[in-house]
Amino acid sequence: MDDLRGFETSLTSLVLDAGPEAPRRIVELCLERLPLTGAGITVMSAADHQQPLWASDAVAARIDELQFRLAEGPCVEAFTMRRSVIVADITDTHETRWPMFAAAARETPARAMVVLPLQAGSVRVGILDFYRDQPGVLDPAELAAAQRAADAAFWSLLGLRRGHVLDEHGAPTHGDSADPHGWLAGAPLEHAEVYQATGMIISQLDVSADTALARLRAHAFLHDRPIGEVAHEVVARRLRFSGQEDR
Amino acid sequence: MSSEPVGPKREAALSAAFVRLADTLVADYDVIEFLSGLVGDCVTLFAVDTAGVLLDDGSGAPRVVASSTEDTRLVELFEVQVAEGPCLDCLRSRAPVTVAELDDAYDRWPRFSPGALAAGFHAVHAVPLRLRNQTVGALNLFTATSGELPTADLHAAQALADVAAIGILQERAIRSQVTVTTQLQGALQSRIVIEQAKGVLADRGNLDMTEAFSSLRQHARRTNQRLSDLAASIAARTTSPEVVLGTPIRRDDETKR
Repeated sequence: MDDLRGFETSLTSLVLDAGPEAPRRIVELCLERLPLTGAGITVMSAADHQQPLWASDAVAARIDELQFRLAEGPCVEAFTMRRSVIVADITDTHETRWPMFAAAARETPARAMVVLPLQAGSVRVGILDFYRDQPGVLDPAELAAAQRAADAAFWSLLGLRRGHVLDEHGAPTHGDSADPHGWLAGAPLEHAEVYQATGMIISQLDVSADTALARLRAHAFLHDRPIGEVAHEVVARRLRFSGQEDR
Repeated sequence: MSSEPVGPKREAALSAAFVRLADTLVADYDVIEFLSGLVGDCVTLFAVDTAGVLLDDGSGAPRVVASSTEDTRLVELFEVQVAEGPCLDCLRSRAPVTVAELDDAYDRWPRFSPGALAAGFHAVHAVPLRLRNQTVGALNLFTATSGELPTADLHAAQALADVAAIGILQERAIRSQVTVTTQLQGALQSRIVIEQAKGVLADRGNLDMTEAFSSLRQHARRTNQRLSDLAASIAARTTSPEVVLGTPIRRDDETKR
């Protein structure tokens, strides 16, 4: 991965333009550009409440199915612990974190795994897991790229899950700027106000953090404004969510 | 301008800060609380007005994880450094960065310099958070007056930054790049949860973000909870904001500006 910025630009356009196809396209882009064999996306609301969304091949599907059936494995851990989980070699006898899963996974062609939670603070929508048919870990630049892809998948899933499919509102107009809304490539994640506003909406609507962030995002999208700008309005108490504003 | 302790008093204050940080690292500690204490120490000990810690989880874009102020305008100054500024330069050069007069740094940082000047700062310093051969972030120090930071302060700041790096990378033996990255991500995610909890408290209690953070921090201390755990519980609506807001808010966490 020698062109992280270019990769981010591609991710951004996928989230803006690919609508419901965005999560799959994002993962396919990763498989093209990173030394990984296959991947799956699982939407989760609790460690034992998950729904496979998409898998690139039968092995990826099998890996996901195994660990949710066994209730252990890197995906469950990534979601529960809210952090990335890396497995250099699932056949390594020193790999004792998930004995049942490891034993079952050894029967598949998968060797290495990279599992990323799709999250922003307490807002968690699921996990993205990659496997590779060779042992080994990603280098730091590749891991950073995978992380940016997970951020992109997070934002696209957040929109889909609330039913605010991007295409429903029509693709927002954007000219030459690759990312007019500052949605992506981690951009919203850098703004403290986006999360402060999420908290204020939690309080205003008495909803969960993921619903609150999805509402903020939907409002910004509907009004074709950068999410950071809408968040600022909320924090400055010039915009209050009452449940009606984006309906 | 700040009124930091001088002479033997300062030595004592600096020692006390290190002892307190070392104490924190022994017990089961919260990384954000640890860093909030550290940036607070910086504004108390050094001739600086605002301090912040930024981390880079490997993406090349540093993000704020702790700040001595919750003032939105000032936090934005830290945030702008995703693209440019002393922190990013410090990360890239892996060496301290000092600009004694921001008026002369318009070309160097076309966005950061005007923003910092408008916020009332004239000098900025950044020291790297180092772990062996790796730089994982930077400690930013902003001052309202122009001028170099005294050498003794710069050395002490570097020592604090080294302690900060150890504190962030909590595991005793960092075995691989993978572990470093996940630790950094963990710290950044904790910060996000704290921002969400601040929002809940600010809305419910009609507080500004500084007051919201103070009430969160005070309640965590009083009830002996980790700051991040309490924040997560508020954001998940498991802990009612009224429980936290029930006690009077002292603005003792607010630093000099």
